[in-house]
Amino acid sequence: MTVGALIADLRCAIGADRVRADPFEMTLYDRDASTMRGSCAAVCLPASTAEVSAVLRTCRSHDWPFVARGSGTGLAGGAVPSGPKPPVVVVTTRMNRVLDVDVDNRLAWVEPGVINLDLSRAVAEHGLFFAPDPSSQQSCSVGGNVANNSGGPHCLLYGVTNAHIAALDVVLADGELVRLGGLDAEPDGLDLRGCFVGSEGTMGIATRICVRLTEKPRSVSTLLADFTDMGNAARAVSAVISAGIVPAALEMMDKTIIGVVEAYVQAGLPTDAEALLLVELDGLQGGVRVESAAVSAVLSGHGARSVRVAADDTERAVWWKARKSAFGAVARIAPNYYLHDCVVPRSVLVDVLGEVNAIARAEGLLVGNVFHAGDGNLHPLIVFDRREPGVEAKVHEAGRRIIEACVRAGGSLSGEHGIGLEKRDAMSLVFTEADMAAQKCLRDAFDPEGRCNPDKVLPSGTAGCGELASVPAGAWI
Amino acid sequence: MAVTGRNLLGLDPDELSCCVSCGLCLSTCPTFRVSGEEAKSPRGRIAAMRLVSEGAAVTESFLEVISSCVMCRACETACPSSVHFGSLMEDTRASLAATTVPWWQTLAYKTLERPRLLRLLTGMGAVAQRLHLIPPALESRLSLPRLAVRQEPLTPTGSDVWLFTGCVMDAWQRPVHAAVIAVLSAMGFGVALPGAGAACCGALHSHAGLTSRAVTLAGRVMSAFPGDAPVLVDSAGCGAQLRDYGRLVGTDEAARFSARVHDVHEWLAARADLLPPVKAGAGPLTVAVQDPCHLRHVQKCHLPVRKVLSPYASVVELDDDGVCCGAGGAYSALRPEMARAIRQAKLSAIDAAAPDVVASANPGCSLWLAGGGAKVEHPMVLVAQRAGLV
Repeated sequence: MTVGALIADLRCAIGADRVRADPFEMTLYDRDASTMRGSCAAVCLPASTAEVSAVLRTCRSHDWPFVARGSGTGLAGGAVPSGPKPPVVVVTTRMNRVLDVDVDNRLAWVEPGVINLDLSRAVAEHGLFFAPDPSSQQSCSVGGNVANNSGGPHCLLYGVTNAHIAALDVVLADGELVRLGGLDAEPDGLDLRGCFVGSEGTMGIATRICVRLTEKPRSVSTLLADFTDMGNAARAVSAVISAGIVPAALEMMDKTIIGVVEAYVQAGLPTDAEALLLVELDGLQGGVRVESAAVSAVLSGHGARSVRVAADDTERAVWWKARKSAFGAVARIAPNYYLHDCVVPRSVLVDVLGEVNAIARAEGLLVGNVFHAGDGNLHPLIVFDRREPGVEAKVHEAGRRIIEACVRAGGSLSGEHGIGLEKRDAMSLVFTEADMAAQKCLRDAFDPEGRCNPDKVLPSGTAGCGELASVPAGAWI
Repeated sequence: MAVTGRNLLGLDPDELSCCVSCGLCLSTCPTFRVSGEEAKSPRGRIAAMRLVSEGAAVTESFLEVISSCVMCRACETACPSSVHFGSLMEDTRASLAATTVPWWQTLAYKTLERPRLLRLLTGMGAVAQRLHLIPPALESRLSLPRLAVRQEPLTPTGSDVWLFTGCVMDAWQRPVHAAVIAVLSAMGFGVALPGAGAACCGALHSHAGLTSRAVTLAGRVMSAFPGDAPVLVDSAGCGAQLRDYGRLVGTDEAARFSARVHDVHEWLAARADLLPPVKAGAGPLTVAVQDPCHLRHVQKCHLPVRKVLSPYASVVELDDDGVCCGAGGAYSALRPEMARAIRQAKLSAIDAAAPDVVASANPGCSLWLAGGGAKVEHPMVLVAQRAGLV
């Protein structure tokens, strides 16, 4: 089958203006917010479940792979069209309606292209919000959040996306529509919904998502503490949690990041500090007041030079804007970044941060750290200019060593950005062949012909069901 | 189809590489919001500029990527890396202008530079409207308001401040200028009016990439405002252009002129204690503020409008994070379909806020929203009315 025939059939299936095959326009879909690139055979812009199903049926009849894409803000190349056969990109941005809000049960059915922040805005009048809040929440889609099981600063208290998805209507690779999960408190059978959330587009395309909404906290207190020593800041993080307090968010920024975000937001952040901690507490007024005072004491006790409390919502919003714009703002230093997403036990934060900085120094690279300290989710951000000869090799070498260091410290590859293309080949650092074979088995059950976002998550050549003679003891199954 | 294989853009590679493709701009872009297409997003547009700068051919699809932009510049406000999207887009358009700007657009812009001709055409248009001679489609595409057959001339009241009067604004919305003069006079400030040289600020020329013409017009405007009194502007688009003369013309004189320019609301907000009192017996009024993009994202002084209005009305916000209304200077006339789709979202936000009236400080936005059925007034007209001055 040729690409031409595929495109013609896609156009028949959903209309000529919803299928783009102009080489120039297709190039714009070659990448997401990561640095990886691929190439695609066509771009489809379906506007309904029926159209997604028609696209996938057409792909099936041509035996053609496809990749789902929301806003394209992913950081691990999950939506990059890649593989030996350039896939069809299925863009969900036109499926952006909030279909139904059930205020009493705090549920909402939404289409996958709804922007995360738009969802919270749409339900704000009922005193509700959608808790997962990735830094890209003003642009990223709920479908993308589902695919990556996205987190965000406030997931420390509220849990990541998986905790906020009740049910999913999914179009499988053969075009069939199935419902995973359900609105019952405890749906029958296996938790296939749980399998799908975080599957990075390898199990089908969710076209209707039932999200759980959260009541907006009655009271919020946000603290900003600055430290002249990174180690003290990291120790303060553990001390807050050890004191029995789980803040809604507990974020850290290092000196490099403070400088660039301050240049953007001009919030009066202390640019001479080695580290900043942003701590948010929410709940009932009395509890927040007590916890706020307790956290403030812990931070001061661990060497905070000053602890400020946001005076009002405006100041709080500026601090959060500073935190959430960090990745984009590093372009003030250099035009490219390579961002990691390892999770390490909180107790080893100090050591791992030291190691990350030492690795970058050894390669002669600049690294910034801005991350979810409360749950040990590091985001070392290597800043570089691709035009500098040989720099990419150094960046990848440093990246590899950072991942290895985190895994050695008992960490995992990804907290919230996903494995995608970027960390695919590092999977073997954490998982054995048997682990990956089991994952491949599960994936094959959803997509037996391997057309759903091929080339992602599992290294090529991963053995499938029954291909391993026996399962060794201790495999992560 | 390749229009040309030559790299025409000549953009600064450092500026282009400043975009790290994070996508934080996407949701602020009106054309992305209605189309969902990467090619109609700021990130996609920069990627496209980069491709052409690196040697890709200028194709029809590239021209569409460039011409579909409203130039609201909301992406600049959203961009953590502070990419100067507006300059990139203007420079790109400037390098393509010879092949992309149609003759009728150039001719229409020439009319804006000739106040007497514009007034004559406006008078003829007003008569034609009354005789129902203008096809409704054309009237809607140009966002034509009910034109006045004859307009009362404006009278200068002193020399404390200049008022920039402009082209379409003076021909179609002169009562706004009258309201500004009335309010300023009530506060004790005498207003000087420029001569014919200040007819057109050249903003539309700049947006279309007709840069050298824009520079010529800038020269004319600057010489129409001698001395060093502040130059107040009541049109957000014109104000943004006048404030950009320093960069556009690139001389010290132009930079000094730009520094004298203030949005009228910004200037008044700094003197809010002198604002005239609300007239006795004025009933309650709820006003929704629509922020013109050239006030919010370019001049970054949209908040003063609220400060100036707040003594006179209850001010409510639209729940759409200030996204563009689709007017975009000439955009609504050049790309009516896209502009209408963008406007629809704005009208829904207005419906949700349910105000008595919408305040818009830019003639393009107010005409465009009124064309969609919204009740719109310039903030200064509301102030003058509530103070009983007009």
